[in-house]
Amino acid sequence: MLVNTEMYEGSACYDPTLIDHQEEHVHNFHQTPNFSSIEASTDYQLLNMDMDHQNQIIHDLNWTTHSHDQIQIGNDTNCFPNMPLITPNPAPPDLLNLFQLPRCSNSSISFSNPNHMDQPSYDPLLPLNLPPQPPFFRELLHSLPNGYNLTGGGSIFGDIDMEREGMRGELHQLYHEGDGILKFNGDINGIVGKGRDVKDTKHFATEKHRRQQLNDKFDALKNLVPIPTKADRASVVGDAIEYINELKRTVEELTILVERKRCNRGRLKKHKAEDDSTLDVESINTRPNGGGDHDQQAYNGNSTSTLRSSWLQRKSKNTEVDVRIIDDEVTIKLVQQKKINCLLFVSKVLDELQLDLHHVAGGLIGDFYSYLFNTKICEGSSVYASAIANKLIEVVDRHYASIPSTTGY
Amino acid sequence: MEFYDDISSVVEETNGMLCRNRKRNYDGDDDDNNDEDEGRFKSKNLKAERKRREKLKSRMLELRSLVPKITNLNKETIITDAIDYIEELQDSVTNLTNEIHKIEAELAIEQSFDILHICQEEKMKKWGIESEVEVSRINENKLWMKIVFEKKVGGFTKLIQAMSMLGIELVDTSVTTTKGAVLVTSCIEGKMLIPEQVREELVDVIKVL
Repeated sequence: MLVNTEMYEGSACYDPTLIDHQEEHVHNFHQTPNFSSIEASTDYQLLNMDMDHQNQIIHDLNWTTHSHDQIQIGNDTNCFPNMPLITPNPAPPDLLNLFQLPRCSNSSISFSNPNHMDQPSYDPLLPLNLPPQPPFFRELLHSLPNGYNLTGGGSIFGDIDMEREGMRGELHQLYHEGDGILKFNGDINGIVGKGRDVKDTKHFATEKHRRQQLNDKFDALKNLVPIPTKADRASVVGDAIEYINELKRTVEELTILVERKRCNRGRLKKHKAEDDSTLDVESINTRPNGGGDHDQQAYNGNSTSTLRSSWLQRKSKNTEVDVRIIDDEVTIKLVQQKKINCLLFVSKVLDELQLDLHHVAGGLIGDFYSYLFNTKICEGSSVYASAIANKLIEVVDRHYASIPSTTGY
Repeated sequence: MEFYDDISSVVEETNGMLCRNRKRNYDGDDDDNNDEDEGRFKSKNLKAERKRREKLKSRMLELRSLVPKITNLNKETIITDAIDYIEELQDSVTNLTNEIHKIEAELAIEQSFDILHICQEEKMKKWGIESEVEVSRINENKLWMKIVFEKKVGGFTKLIQAMSMLGIELVDTSVTTTKGAVLVTSCIEGKMLIPEQVREELVDVIKVL
């Protein structure tokens, strides 16, 4: 495969602004300026790192992260109508024309691009100095002969890895040897067929890509979890396990609550219609099955027989909260760095949440105030664990922040 | 996953070969170890690394067991599916919370929380419990305090507030409620506290509750 050297000369390879635009478009499928500015900054970093190598970032085949899929789809549908139609250049520009490839004398690659002519926005893009849309990449790489893949062999620039943090899930590199020959790795991931959509192939250009992809996934998982402990993979997975369990508990708790609430609402409406006497909420839950409305009785039976239980922990910088709910009893453990005596504030919050304080124990232990509260949920209140925890942390942190000195309340 | 395992097995093999040949020190392992075990434990690092890998593997399996959707069974898809599942759960949590708030808003007018009902179930006096305040000195800085008062809505909060305004800091506190009464026992600190004075102040506070 041969690459026409004239194609390189056609584009101003060494213009930094041009490179910037090209790079940003190459791996930035958005039209929004925010994203492109972020990308641009990271690109500049790259550029400054390796000016000699002229590292144009080119996307590899794996665009399968969900967000990118959506963006890609959106981009495909949005971008074309938005592009202004400019009269095409006389010479049909080759795909590689838009890459900032270094000039090379021994270029030994060429691509047959029969399909590129069909893209209407292809021409308008070029004068605007915008690199091609994702479909072009697909076309390019699909047009490679069977079994070949665009890789850089062994000469990947290891120093590019460090710039990854800005770009989640996508790292675009054009690999090339020093003399400009693109090497083909014939073993893994043969890209074949035009019908293949990039979304459902997970072919990585290199093992390194695969590793990077995996690392990014771990980071994504880490960011989802609210209480991170260590940052290594096993801990991230462990935290994720605990978080999933916590979420499942919360969902369970909330569904029970919603059920009860609905049931009560139905009962209330019914009672309002029937009689005007004071509604004793307790009696609703203890009414035996078999009377009146069967559907609601069924719900009623369910809600009383299922024991509501949930447990979660929340941490902030100065405060740690552990909330456990069994049926209508809430046990709250609170540990807080000594600065203010939080007893007053917590007590206020509990009053607000309509939690009846039964027992409290705790005090100053070393540098921390640690308290254990046993409370009961008042009948009919629909407070749930995460609400309690979040409220407590919010209040305590707020007061903590507002106290400047070490003494005082 | 196979790829990863291949790499690790290759590493192990190379390690083994090197140690068996005893030509080089690989990763700075202990010479004594090599001599003793004769290549059975290839290096301290290898043991630790293997343990680390197995720890990660077992946790990944655990994660997979939790997540209902399973596509492929390699590392990446486990993580991907876990991420999706977590987001799903988070969404359902927000939906349920919104629903609860909606229902609550509808019911707001109709319901009244019967807190007083709970508190006044058992009258303190019925059981012969009297309100009282006791304050005594432990050492030059600390006093000890015991208060019994009738349980009321927000009563405890008011008590704490009053105490903080008096400059009393609760160091170790224990609060119990029984039979409509609240017992507060605490070690307290403060500037220039005199037991009798504190006692008088607290008696006044309780009267107001």
